[in-house]
Amino acid sequence: MAQDLPPESIIIADWHRCAESKDFFNRILHKKKRKQFGLLESPMMAPHVAVETVQYKVFLSGKSGVGKTSLAARLAGLSSPNMHYETTGIETIVLYWPVKLRENGRVLFFRLQLWDCGENALRRFDHFLPSCKEQVDAVLFLFSFTDRTSFDDLPNQITRWSGPSNRIVKMVVGTKFDLFMHSDVTQREVRQFQDTQGLPVLRTGGEVSDGLGDVAPFLNCLAERLWNQDCMAATLPSGPTHYREGALI
Amino acid sequence: MMLQDGSTQVLCLTANSGVPLFTRGASKQLPFSVIGSLNGVHMFGDGQGVVLSSCQTDCGGRVVWRVFHDSVMLIAVNGGHGSTGVIQGHVKGEELFLERLLENIWNCMVLVLGRDELTNMRNVERLKKDLRSCFGLIDQLLEDRHQGIMGNLTHCADCLLPPNPALVQEAVNGFTQSVDSEFGCLVVHGRVAAATENWWRLAPQEVILLSALMRMLSSSGSASCDYPVFLPQGSPTVAHRLLRFQLLPGADVCVLCGPTPSLQKAQSDLVRQFWSPLVETLRDCLAVGERCLPGTVSLRVPDVLALLVLNREARRSVSCVRPSADDSPTLPSKARCWELLRLFYIFAATRYFSQEEAPVPGALAEEKAHSRSSASGDFVAGFPHQPLQCYLVTEECKCYGLQTQQHQLFLLTPLSVPTFALRNVATQTLLAVTADTGF
Ligand SMILES: Nc1nc2c(ncn2[C@@H]2O[C@H](COP(=O)(O)OP(=O)(O)OP(=O)(O)O)[C@@H](O)[C@H]2O)c(=O)[nH]1
Ligand SMILES: [Mg+2]
Repeated sequence: MAQDLPPESIIIADWHRCAESKDFFNRILHKKKRKQFGLLESPMMAPHVAVETVQYKVFLSGKSGVGKTSLAARLAGLSSPNMHYETTGIETIVLYWPVKLRENGRVLFFRLQLWDCGENALRRFDHFLPSCKEQVDAVLFLFSFTDRTSFDDLPNQITRWSGPSNRIVKMVVGTKFDLFMHSDVTQREVRQFQDTQGLPVLRTGGEVSDGLGDVAPFLNCLAERLWNQDCMAATLPSGPTHYREGALI
Repeated sequence: MMLQDGSTQVLCLTANSGVPLFTRGASKQLPFSVIGSLNGVHMFGDGQGVVLSSCQTDCGGRVVWRVFHDSVMLIAVNGGHGSTGVIQGHVKGEELFLERLLENIWNCMVLVLGRDELTNMRNVERLKKDLRSCFGLIDQLLEDRHQGIMGNLTHCADCLLPPNPALVQEAVNGFTQSVDSEFGCLVVHGRVAAATENWWRLAPQEVILLSALMRMLSSSGSASCDYPVFLPQGSPTVAHRLLRFQLLPGADVCVLCGPTPSLQKAQSDLVRQFWSPLVETLRDCLAVGERCLPGTVSLRVPDVLALLVLNREARRSVSCVRPSADDSPTLPSKARCWELLRLFYIFAATRYFSQEEAPVPGALAEEKAHSRSSASGDFVAGFPHQPLQCYLVTEECKCYGLQTQQHQLFLLTPLSVPTFALRNVATQTLLAVTADTGF
């Protein structure tokens, strides 16, 4: 598997802590909270600062109750109910994330659209899976640390997405890591899994704080892999296929 | 009663064997023994050839039973009111509210699962599990009353009148056509701002329910959705797709459509094409805010505390509570105003004004006749004529109701407004709301 990308080799880690990034991160914040963008909106920069926006579609996969909807909300800085309300169709969430490339100091806005489809809905209606697969760029395979079966089922899920020619970034996410006291899955097993599958495993869970630090490592890791996939695919040095003009409203 | 004052709990059981399927509402569940008794007493009546539909407790609590399609029984339990305000004293419990609530909840279940799933009850355990997927929408309905939504009660869709209706109407029509649909609707702050003609031809209950679904989806902050929905009247056994797009936070457009286009396609190709030119127009709609009426409608501010106007034919409503209500210590709070408006609506609608609804096909008409006779009570029946106006003075506010051929107005004013002036304020208010807006 070609997933031997050393972490933070392409983008600058912890950029959100640098003073120079403030101007960019302020565009995705509102009163110290993450700003919500409607489909007709995007982060607005001063006219002389040209920032490119790159768009990606990310699908969240995993059994019912594993925490897909919660993860999507967390990454976008939205509040999610503590109750488990089954998602009875597809819901997508859009988030923007600024990133600085190590190589040339270019700043990009990543526009990630997270596709979240309730597991039971996926089974009841067969038009959902094709719709989620259409032009997808990445899949996050979720398992819950408190649900052994969700971990054991991962290899199954992953093989379902391995075609010969498809270029899809794959990552594994362990949810409910905050409930490690009740954990059903040991750290050793996770490391072992990581080595055999060659996929990165991220962990999430716990109180959501308003800060960016909460989600930065996750989003940077995802952004890096998406960008890398595009660069490898692009034969031209001019850049990847997902380049979109920064059409700012 | 074992429930908190004013809180409502809904129980769902299988109709023939009384197996509990779920409970929603009220933080503290009723004990199992009480649930059993509530089911038992209904069954007892059944055995005697009597349908038990409602009863009241000493302290103003109320229970309403209803069986749907011989398969599911819903029971609503209301905790009664601690206070004995004049309005509460006159309202026959909250029977109308609870009856509508049960009907809405049944429709919710059909909307999410389809009628077949609910009536062909082969495996109770599975149904129990499947019913969990309705909880989001059911809880939304139970919460709505706290957020100034009246449609669940009035069965008239809560609307927001945009400052530039022609522009948004055109965009809704165009966008809806572009996805090969005839059913499209723009929702701003959870209220319908514009919809296609055929959207308004859906059964009123369906319009209400779809609005609630939109509010639920919108509050999660998601950008777009593809949701299967069964229409309780129009298509209870075949699911349609509800595509919803968040244009701006607080402004959502939705369409009902068939297998195509895919969510991806509609979103990337069509949303921007139709809606980008309207960003400023949409912002103007959002600016209307909770008032629900454009700035051109001027109300006599010191005299109007809260209002609800129904367009009886079109099954639409606008309502608002004076935004400054929270500032003055002598006036009821905003939340209380909404509560009073609801209570006054129930009071006037059940005692004086008949419930005229657009004709609904089939089984529902029969159900409606039933609820009308029980709701209007004996009072109206004793008179050959229809009351056109009514008023009520309570210790918190004054209330005035007024109906014309086309509209009904329910108005709350501060106590400081002289009673003899109420009629005048009401007439002027109705005129102000309807004249320029064409509502
Ligand atoms: N403690 C803890 N609870 C979590 C976490 N993620 C999710 N949950 C809880 O797990 C339950 C289910 O989460 P959801 O995100 O709704 O599950 P889902 O994967 O979207 O489920 P479906 O929509 O039915 O497919 C909710 O009650 C969440 O509050 C986490 O990281 N930590
Ligand atoms: Mg979900």
